[in-house]
Amino acid sequence: MAAADLCDLGIAELGRRYRGRELSPVDVTTAHLARIERLDKTLNSYVTVTAEQALAGARAAEAAIRSGTAGPLAGIPIAYKDLYATRGVLTTGGSALLADWIPDHDATCVTRLAHAGMVMLGKLITHEFAFGIQFPGHRFLPARNPWNLDHMPGGSSSGSGAALAAGLTVGALGSDTGGSIRGPAAFCGIVGLKPTYGRVSRAGVLTLSWTLDHTGPMARSVEDCALMLQALAGYDAADPASSREPVPDYAAGLAGGVRGLRIGVPRDYFFHDVKPEVAEAFESAMQTLRGLGADVREVTIPSIWSSPALLVIMLTEAFAYHARDLRERPQLYGEVLREKLMAGALFTAEEYIQAQRLRARLCEDVNQVLGEVDLLATPTMTATAPSFATVFDPNFPFARSNMAPFNMTGQPTLALPCGFAPNGLPVSLQLSGRPFDEATVLRAGHAYEQATEWHTRRPSL
Amino acid sequence: MTAGNSDITPDEVRERIRVARVAIPEDRLALIHGLLRDALKPIRQMDTREARTLEPAPTFDAAAPQNRHGRR
Repeated sequence: MAAADLCDLGIAELGRRYRGRELSPVDVTTAHLARIERLDKTLNSYVTVTAEQALAGARAAEAAIRSGTAGPLAGIPIAYKDLYATRGVLTTGGSALLADWIPDHDATCVTRLAHAGMVMLGKLITHEFAFGIQFPGHRFLPARNPWNLDHMPGGSSSGSGAALAAGLTVGALGSDTGGSIRGPAAFCGIVGLKPTYGRVSRAGVLTLSWTLDHTGPMARSVEDCALMLQALAGYDAADPASSREPVPDYAAGLAGGVRGLRIGVPRDYFFHDVKPEVAEAFESAMQTLRGLGADVREVTIPSIWSSPALLVIMLTEAFAYHARDLRERPQLYGEVLREKLMAGALFTAEEYIQAQRLRARLCEDVNQVLGEVDLLATPTMTATAPSFATVFDPNFPFARSNMAPFNMTGQPTLALPCGFAPNGLPVSLQLSGRPFDEATVLRAGHAYEQATEWHTRRPSL
Repeated sequence: MTAGNSDITPDEVRERIRVARVAIPEDRLALIHGLLRDALKPIRQMDTREARTLEPAPTFDAAAPQNRHGRR
């Protein structure tokens, strides 16, 4: 098989071929390292490539597969957003502040995927501290969108989205405080899952906002996200928000289809300012799901317009996290990020508390709607990826977000490709379910994927 | 008490910057004002008396479909 084809296979397919002795983890890892070497000079998705470690891991996985002792994801290449601590490997947070930090520990997610047998290719660039894109002159370059290099790949898991779309890894981890897994998934035409708050450990992952931060898998198919979630999910005493909720078999339920599934479409808020090409792709996706037997109906979330209060919570908590460094080493922050973080000092205690109360009301309203339907469906983003020329304006405003409501409520939420705009950039569908019901979200996403071909398209590189 | 239905003004943002003693240059005021205006809009529209039964503590309990606050 050609090297480029090796880099196109997903987790499920690689696993099948490894077990059937048709492919070798060493060959697959070598092909990925060569592709990174060839393409990432342009894409800037990796901060650090751990080639020797990857090849050693691939050899160990190959031996384990031969001896029948391999973990469920043995020999599958993975790369981590550079917010995840990796023992002995540079972890920058995309910031000059941590440009030389080499942790002495692994994040829990890294440990769990290593136990499952995954092979780390390296660390992927993140927006600075998961919040601020790297402007020209920054210590680190921003990742570029493989579908159009003049456009951003989304963020903050920018390198994760770009690397997956370009075939520079098979799986990746992202983090999501206001849409940082789902946004890059949408802009790069790949799949990203923000699990329920508490489902996947955040221990060892740099904080942006304690009550909004989520960690989760990114891949090129829903099935691959399910396989990674299986290895990631479960209680971790090191994360105070971690849940003891039992972990189901996510892959087992994937093929169940959507017949009879009630899917609610909340038009208010989520369709405000949606671009026509995004609306068209979304309506087509709903038609597909109806054709598969889903009952698609409109629903209303009364307090949905309280969602921008997320900014009060996120900025206040982010300021609290960064306060000391902002005072003592402000010059090490990107200029625009520094000012946005400082904006977190401008809210009153009352406003923070009221924002959390609004969040509680939103949770109640969404839970009530999820008593009437099984899932919510919306466009993930209201438009396709903007150009760098647009976002490099320091006064580029914060856009209203279709993803933020589900960080407020903590529900499991999936982003997956549902079309392409006339400009050639991907469009994404967002599916959100009840707390800890990732299985239904994944089942619906998988059914949609099996009926369409959007997730199989690749950029020309 | 929350203020009512009005947006935060640039002068209010300047005053908050002064009180908080943070360094935000005047040429970024429009950005920061926009950020605070959008973030605070739902709070300024909120009737705090109407929402008095809600605690500021979202919880996620799969065993309780209604997911009432205060339950873990």
